[in-house]
Amino acid sequence: MTINLDDIKDLLLKSEKPARYTGGEFGMPELKENSACNFCLCFPDLYEVGMSNLGIKIVAESISRRGYFADFCFTPWKDFGDGLKERGVPLYSLGLKKPLAEFDILGFSLQFELCYTNVLYMLDLAGIPLLRKDRVGKKYPLIAFGGPCAVNPEPLAEIADIVFIGDGESTDAEVCDLYAKYGSSQEFFERASKIEGVYIPAFTQVKYAKDGHICGFEGITRVKKAIAFDLENAPFPKTFAVANIESVHDRAVIEVMRGCYRGCRFCQAGFIYRPVRKKSVKTLTEQACNLIKNTGFDEVSMNSLSTGDYKHLRELIKSLRGSLPKEVTLALPSLRVDSFDGEIAQDARRISLTFAPEAGSQRLRDVINKDITEDEIIKAAESAFDVGYSAVKLYFMMGLPTETDEDLKAMSRIVGLIKGAYAKQKRGKPLRISLSVSTFIPKPFTPFQWERQCSLQEAEQKQEVLKKHLFIKGVSLSWSDYFTAKLEAVLARGDRRLNKVIISAYQKGCKFDGWTKELNKKAWQEAFDECGIDMDYYTREWGEDEILPWDLIDISVSKKFLLNERHKAYSGDVTGSCQTGCKGCGMQANCPAAKGDL
Amino acid sequence: MIAFKYTKTDGAEYLSHLDLLRHINCTLRRAGIAVNYSQGFNKHARIFMSNPLGTGIKSVAEFCTVDTFFEGDFGAAFNANSPKGIKCVEWYYTQTNPNFAFNTEQCYYRVKGLNPFNCDEILQKQSIILTDSRGREVDIRPRIYAIECKDDGVYFWAGCNEKNLRPELLASYLCSLYGGTVGEIIKLDAKVLK
Repeated sequence: MTINLDDIKDLLLKSEKPARYTGGEFGMPELKENSACNFCLCFPDLYEVGMSNLGIKIVAESISRRGYFADFCFTPWKDFGDGLKERGVPLYSLGLKKPLAEFDILGFSLQFELCYTNVLYMLDLAGIPLLRKDRVGKKYPLIAFGGPCAVNPEPLAEIADIVFIGDGESTDAEVCDLYAKYGSSQEFFERASKIEGVYIPAFTQVKYAKDGHICGFEGITRVKKAIAFDLENAPFPKTFAVANIESVHDRAVIEVMRGCYRGCRFCQAGFIYRPVRKKSVKTLTEQACNLIKNTGFDEVSMNSLSTGDYKHLRELIKSLRGSLPKEVTLALPSLRVDSFDGEIAQDARRISLTFAPEAGSQRLRDVINKDITEDEIIKAAESAFDVGYSAVKLYFMMGLPTETDEDLKAMSRIVGLIKGAYAKQKRGKPLRISLSVSTFIPKPFTPFQWERQCSLQEAEQKQEVLKKHLFIKGVSLSWSDYFTAKLEAVLARGDRRLNKVIISAYQKGCKFDGWTKELNKKAWQEAFDECGIDMDYYTREWGEDEILPWDLIDISVSKKFLLNERHKAYSGDVTGSCQTGCKGCGMQANCPAAKGDL
Repeated sequence: MIAFKYTKTDGAEYLSHLDLLRHINCTLRRAGIAVNYSQGFNKHARIFMSNPLGTGIKSVAEFCTVDTFFEGDFGAAFNANSPKGIKCVEWYYTQTNPNFAFNTEQCYYRVKGLNPFNCDEILQKQSIILTDSRGREVDIRPRIYAIECKDDGVYFWAGCNEKNLRPELLASYLCSLYGGTVGEIIKLDAKVLK
């Protein structure tokens, strides 16, 4: 069955942006139906967000290289989604316009905890039962999850059939191979569970003690993440589908490195993507040229968690400038303060520059292992002002472990120093500073995974301190909503008991929870209350000897190392970057940096 | 400069005007057709489009001018690199910008799904006052230049530019008078002042 767009023309015309739902993008590969394994990559956010995601494009490439096809589907906005439901039209894929329920595997990319209800929305619109137990033995597609949030798959474990942990380049395609051979059978699941990076939640049972804490796992009790060691030769698309409507990052993207040398203690990506792997200048130039030629974009973004740490960055920029058409600009979206200099940032639009000192005082930056000094921040700002920037965005966090009011007040000192640096330029145009303060969220697989999150009362008190000290002329101050941060913390460190809460919240109408205006706090609170789950249980400080819900996942960074890092945080010891020597995180045997290959 | 006529069909009818411009820009870059840029503070490619078409309305008669020194087969280069549904059907060199947005006087549409009716009834009316999508009362009669019922739909010439008549507004009006449904609307031609 395929959906004929003419049949839903009235609905398309009533929708805010109908081109989100019509497919036919330039560069979308021709899809052939009825291959041995029909895979649909589902992105639980809007089209324009999902079309910017590099991960799903890489996975689609790896699947298609094995001879299968990968179609795409994104969460429809409510106007279109609810319209489909009213008309009894199932949610369909963009390429083949085929109902999701007719695919063999639906692979959801979990980029953000607050998109979990969107997963349920998509399943519901596709007419697929939400819980795995309601699908067993019936002809429904397998529901798979992957992406960064899948490192703690437990809050969705009763919904998932398969979870991909780690890099998806090879595992997704291997699972397709198995599916092509065995279909959705016990044999398939047993064989899939033996692939590194594949977690089958049905094969693991969680045991709880009387006090509600987890006391053990039964069945498969350890799942190792998949690592694509050879990033240089890993599948990477030669072209991207050019989104019908302008996507949030409407440009070509090359992945310079995967992983980060730094090890900031709050940053989940810094640990789950270890070890650092990088591509050569030659490969990156070739990939950028292919993308520009095939898409017609006028910008290339050099992505990684910290592109400034790429040893050959200047060589890469020189090579790209020499190979790409002159009107193509280069973007460096992830430059650390200590790696910023005017020369390499010249291509970017010189309007606003974003720095993330994360903490106001040096003491607290040492606690979180941010490893940048006040001098470096000011030097980077001066460098930016020299090449023409006149606006700075500063990202900070509040509620970090050991934080005091003095640490919060210290943000105003940084603002003052940056203003001073700008004043030296004697420019007519006033400096604009935007200060964004988010609430600290403890995440799995970080040294701060045991930390408590501050309470609403504490957050409000901290906001008062900020208001008092950071209402400065020329500075716009904003902070994140507390409940949003709390919900993210609960879902990030959640266990299997949260499956019913997420389903209940969805049934009460929750979706697009990451959108401030859409988050229905009351419905979420009611869902927790009705399920008898206390949110505070998940935001408390966790015991160091406690079994954590995600302990069955082996991310290859040792728990001992994380614990040691936590203790070092409390004594204000900086561990520093892997570039200054191996810190022994547990990946030494497989880490290029540990062997001196930086 | 090169002026060209192109289609907006096969799903492209759901693109907004700005996204259409974005796709034409990308297509030209993919095709290696170098476009001259404006010299202002915000440099942009000198691409001049005809008036925006309502979302969901197909067209085989959209117009665009590109400031370029390209000397090859523009149509072939464009079509080899354009999205399905945005295809060049005619092109020519021009010294001056025909300014399609300003100079298009009338557009020719076909609407499917309406019940047949006596077209003279419409043409004999002195005025037809309707409320447009912005809630304004507007007399659409002077903006209807010709109307004809054929086997495959209702064809009409409607005003463009300052005397613009949205085809879906007229189609809904005809539907309310004579019944049927408003099906596919397609723009087939346009009269451009030389």
